[in-house]
Amino acid sequence: MPKSSSSPLLRRRLRQGRDRLATALITAGGIGVIAAVMAIGVFLVVEVLPLFWSGSPEAPQVDLDALWQPQTYPGLEAPVHRWQPALPDSDPGPRFGMAPLAWGTLEAAAWSLVIAVPLALGAAAHSALFMSRRLRAHLKPTLELMEALPGVVIGFLAGLVLAPWLERHLGLGLTLLLLLPPGLVVGGALWSRLPARIRRWLPLGWSALWLVPWLLLLWALARWLAPGVEGWWFGGDLRGWLAATLGLDYTNRNAIIVGMAMGFAVMPSIYALAEDALSGVPSSLSEGAQALGATRWQTLWRVVLPAAGPGVFSAVMIGAGRAVGETMIVLMASGNTALMTASPFDGLRSMAASIAIELPEAAPGGTHYRLLLLAALLLFIFTFLVNTLAEVVRTRLRRRYRRLGVSS
Amino acid sequence: MLPALRRSLLAWLLVLAGAWAIPVAADAPPVGTLDTVGSDTMAGLMLRWGELLGRRYPGLRVQLQASGSASAPPALTAGTTLVGPMSRPMTEPEREAFVDRFGYPPRAVVVAQDALVVVVHRHNPLASLSRRQVDAIFSETRRCGAAKGIRRWQALGLSQPKGRIVLHGRNAVSGTHGLFRREALCGGSFRPEVNEHPGSAAVVAAVADDPLAIGYAGLNHLTPSVRAVPLRDAAGRLHAPDPQAVRRGAYPLARDLRLYVNQPPGEPLPPAERAFLALVLSDEGQAVVDELGFASLSASTLARQRRELGLVDDGA
Repeated sequence: MPKSSSSPLLRRRLRQGRDRLATALITAGGIGVIAAVMAIGVFLVVEVLPLFWSGSPEAPQVDLDALWQPQTYPGLEAPVHRWQPALPDSDPGPRFGMAPLAWGTLEAAAWSLVIAVPLALGAAAHSALFMSRRLRAHLKPTLELMEALPGVVIGFLAGLVLAPWLERHLGLGLTLLLLLPPGLVVGGALWSRLPARIRRWLPLGWSALWLVPWLLLLWALARWLAPGVEGWWFGGDLRGWLAATLGLDYTNRNAIIVGMAMGFAVMPSIYALAEDALSGVPSSLSEGAQALGATRWQTLWRVVLPAAGPGVFSAVMIGAGRAVGETMIVLMASGNTALMTASPFDGLRSMAASIAIELPEAAPGGTHYRLLLLAALLLFIFTFLVNTLAEVVRTRLRRRYRRLGVSS
Repeated sequence: MLPALRRSLLAWLLVLAGAWAIPVAADAPPVGTLDTVGSDTMAGLMLRWGELLGRRYPGLRVQLQASGSASAPPALTAGTTLVGPMSRPMTEPEREAFVDRFGYPPRAVVVAQDALVVVVHRHNPLASLSRRQVDAIFSETRRCGAAKGIRRWQALGLSQPKGRIVLHGRNAVSGTHGLFRREALCGGSFRPEVNEHPGSAAVVAAVADDPLAIGYAGLNHLTPSVRAVPLRDAAGRLHAPDPQAVRRGAYPLARDLRLYVNQPPGEPLPPAERAFLALVLSDEGQAVVDELGFASLSASTLARQRRELGLVDDGA
């Protein structure tokens, strides 16, 4: 019968056609994304090149020395780094030293990693190896929610709430910093001394929950101790003491505030990737170690961490990439002072924040405009390299896990 | 908050026909839309004036694009607007572009006065500052003639507060930043330590939080949580930053807020623009200026400008 035989054939043709169309669309989409990324790079290079190559009427050629070396400007005694692009052309003339911006970008990223990496990796190791499965199922979505928080909200809270609060409670901040780590160790020691009957009610896998009251207790203790610590140690005025003894002047929008806010922002991504790497370690390895008599701590330190090391490394790299490119948090929490000081209590200005603030007002094609695009190009190259490195390391790791899984 | 965001901010002034509105002009009342493009400092003023105008002439509304003073000259030159509010005078290139297109210069109408104030924390006992001291605090060039820079409160002869002076100011693209740099720093350059904020309100908020802070902001942004420092002139006289001192011309850091108008010489203004300017230069319009924290104009200045614009008969 022609009808019964042609209908399935037609349907198969149709399905094949649909498959081919879908494949073509997906391929086109993929190529489109790659082309767009490359086009961004090419656009930036084309816009920046005249600065170094030919120069143009609006943007004369600049040399690298003027951008990255300290310059002696009229009216100042010593050569300095200055980013003051909006000064009028005639007098005293714009100043385009990019070193403070690069410094600010790296300083902000470094402080955010100092704060985020220990917390995120600690959380990842704890939740991958010690935490109960039920609690972990709640923790991960919470951290994902934290990642979804817009940067502008975090920046706003850091700049308008955290910065003034920390300035008024500098002594409490320091006391907390000194008290919390030993306090947690003491908590752990107390827990191990508890009789087994009580310990059954406080299982290790749920410590993230039952430590909360302990942390609140430590907080209360710190509040009680802080005036005493500040009074006895620092003459009642920590800010004055910092200035007088260490020569560190406290500005309320500073690198530490930026580090805390941006650390909060990059923590979830570092946590997620590190947790994946740690829990992806073949269970044959850790079970084997424990069967041979290793404690959980030894298993973590000697077996799991070395095996997942590259994955943890790539998690930190991804975090660094995000911290370098983050704009709104730095813009709102830092005070945007283009300084080159190592003091964590001074402000900073990052490249991304400069682009956001200045690009809308820079004359297109002018020196200022092209230098901002140069900053954009540097950010692009940096994040591209960091992300590629992280991805390569992760692929290697996955291959290694597969080998380990097969050999066992 | 960002300039880009601010730039895209369109303030639409829709004015409903009020039943109580009294037609003032004897001939046909002006109707239609008055487009204005320009200063964001003056956005509040333009908004209130637009409301009043709509109440006076139902059917006439004012539309404002408050994207910054720099956007007014191109819009005037392109002919998209006949009225451009600006918080600074036009620069020579901006003016030349207009003259090239139309053959006559734009007319500047001073509509209010603003002043920059130096603010400190409300508990700061600082009595006054000279221009030299302001320059020594904020700049690294010290063009106003100070012998050395002032970094600490102790250097101003105060026992309290102690510590480094924390500096706050506007971001470099704002007119406020430019005016302070020209007038208070004698055209020098700021220290890189000056924290840059996206608006005067943010500067005031930052200073209010920190006993060691000092900053500058527009007069209309003063709040009770900060204290405006009186400035000393060369003769040693003190000038408190209040509207009276600004109106007298005594306060050193004052500026005129202007409307630039495209009016061909010898021709009257179109009815809508004419009605708007008449309102702005009326007592009612100037009351809005005082209410928003700017300094209103003196009666003689108002009368002179009304005469120059040919508005003598229909000023309120």
